[in-house]
Amino acid sequence: MNWTAILLTLKLAALTAAILLVVGMPIAYWLTYSRWRWKFLAESVVALPLVLPPTVLGFYVLVAIGPKSPVGQWYQAVVGHPLVFTFEGLVLASVLYSLPFAVQPFTAAFGAVDPKLVEASWTLGISRLATFFRVTIPLSLAGVVTGVVLSFAHTMGEFGVVLMVGGNIEGVTRTVSIDIYDEVQALNYAGAGQTALFLLVVSFLILSVVYALNRNLWAVWPMK
Amino acid sequence: MADEMTADFEKRYNGGPSIHGAFRLPVGKPHVLVLFGPSGSGKSTILRCLAGLEQPSRGRITFAGETWFDAEAGVQTPPQARAIGYLFQDYALFPHLTIAGNITYAIHDLDPKERRARLAEMLRLLQLEGLEDRRPAQLSGGQQQRVALARVLARRPRLLLLDEPLSALDAPTREQVRGELRGLLRGQGIPAVCVTHDWVEALTLADEVAVMGGGRVLQVGPPDEVFSRPADADVAAIVGVETVVAGRVVERMDDLAALDVGGVRLWAVEPSRRGEDFYLCIRAEDVTLEIGTRPSSSARNHLAGRVVEIRPAGAVSRLVVECGFALTALVTRQAERDLALTPGTPVTATVKASAVHLISR
Repeated sequence: MNWTAILLTLKLAALTAAILLVVGMPIAYWLTYSRWRWKFLAESVVALPLVLPPTVLGFYVLVAIGPKSPVGQWYQAVVGHPLVFTFEGLVLASVLYSLPFAVQPFTAAFGAVDPKLVEASWTLGISRLATFFRVTIPLSLAGVVTGVVLSFAHTMGEFGVVLMVGGNIEGVTRTVSIDIYDEVQALNYAGAGQTALFLLVVSFLILSVVYALNRNLWAVWPMK
Repeated sequence: MADEMTADFEKRYNGGPSIHGAFRLPVGKPHVLVLFGPSGSGKSTILRCLAGLEQPSRGRITFAGETWFDAEAGVQTPPQARAIGYLFQDYALFPHLTIAGNITYAIHDLDPKERRARLAEMLRLLQLEGLEDRRPAQLSGGQQQRVALARVLARRPRLLLLDEPLSALDAPTREQVRGELRGLLRGQGIPAVCVTHDWVEALTLADEVAVMGGGRVLQVGPPDEVFSRPADADVAAIVGVETVVAGRVVERMDDLAALDVGGVRLWAVEPSRRGEDFYLCIRAEDVTLEIGTRPSSSARNHLAGRVVEIRPAGAVSRLVVECGFALTALVTRQAERDLALTPGTPVTATVKASAVHLISR
């Protein structure tokens, strides 16, 4: 088993999930409560990575952050090296790729919170932001955890986007799924099989947690 | 005026009804205004506008000199800044918090000592001691309602807004909580606007009733006046009870009580023995009219008076008899002819003690 690739993948997935927790919440909040008539367009954009071939998404990200793009040039000027074929570039692409896996469960969970409870909090003098943290989030905890876990799992298994944006650099952008592909190309079925089994088991465990959570929040959460 | 709330605003819905609220309310002293009307009459919308949860389309709302809403000046004070207490119909308790957590929700920034004192005060006031570690789902409907009250009272609101406060309770609990709620509202010294479609609730809680119909306030006045002397046919149809008068118990005999109503004695069934002051409600169809001297029958109440008004309504007529107070009776047009009833005719009105419905006030 290629432990370098596994550790790199776990790091990438954890970082992506953490960023999506922070970035996805405001997006989900806006999608839940906005009465903007063109909101469905924003919903479609968020859902796009679900249907788009990863290579297409990867291609656009590659062009957008490449050394000739404004974003790429700005990044190089500030940080000192290009964004493409680096771990940071990979994180950015993963965040975009897994966006719906975080935002959609968040939105569903926020939408399921009784609006009366939110209004009750407002009439009790609690600001909108504080109400979000004291009422909305605690009552949508299962959905928030689901979103984070799903985006973690989805990032672990990504292939096309990584290949397009990150390339295949050992210890930097070479993730588990690319490692498996390489092993198969090299006809090393035993190595590929070990890593694949590892990914299978981890994915199964993660999904079990998600489904258990949604059946009963406290089934897997040792809290009263 | 600095010591009153004024509201005169309209809320229009796209392609829907328009709701117009107009009333005044003295603040700084206990005074309960009940918005009374059938469902769909716009009562809850008015309450939500007062709370700042909805923005009216035009008009003005002021409270003790502050402007809460002014369409022309573009002012809309958010609910957080109004320092009100809003009691939701289904209480809207936070299911993820304990009873103590719910009650102290709005006062979490007080220092811990004061917060504990306030919590203890509220638990005592609303008889919730011993329940502070439970969750809302583990309480009965009546207890949940008391928690909701404790939660709004804990932050010392300047105005209470109550949306159908008793409608989520089962009948026996409602009976009991109604009395408690009235005592609490009087005791707290906070003005309140209460929405209800239940006339018993309106009579129990109100210092003043605003009858709502078709999205407008049709009549405002003391409860007995609004219920007994509706301003027009619309109000009469909404309030539904014909005679409501205030009375005081002067004598009790077994489960019967004799009440003095403007110098007239009326017997009523009153087994509960709670309080001395009541509203007496008599439906027009429970009043029988006879010509001439006092007849004898099993009915307890025989009231001598004169017909003062006759209002025909289809096959029947509503007659108002002045017998110390205005009593409305329902008779058929045929009976009206046979008895030759005209304004001024002396009659005896008969009402069974069991037909006098008492509501404590």
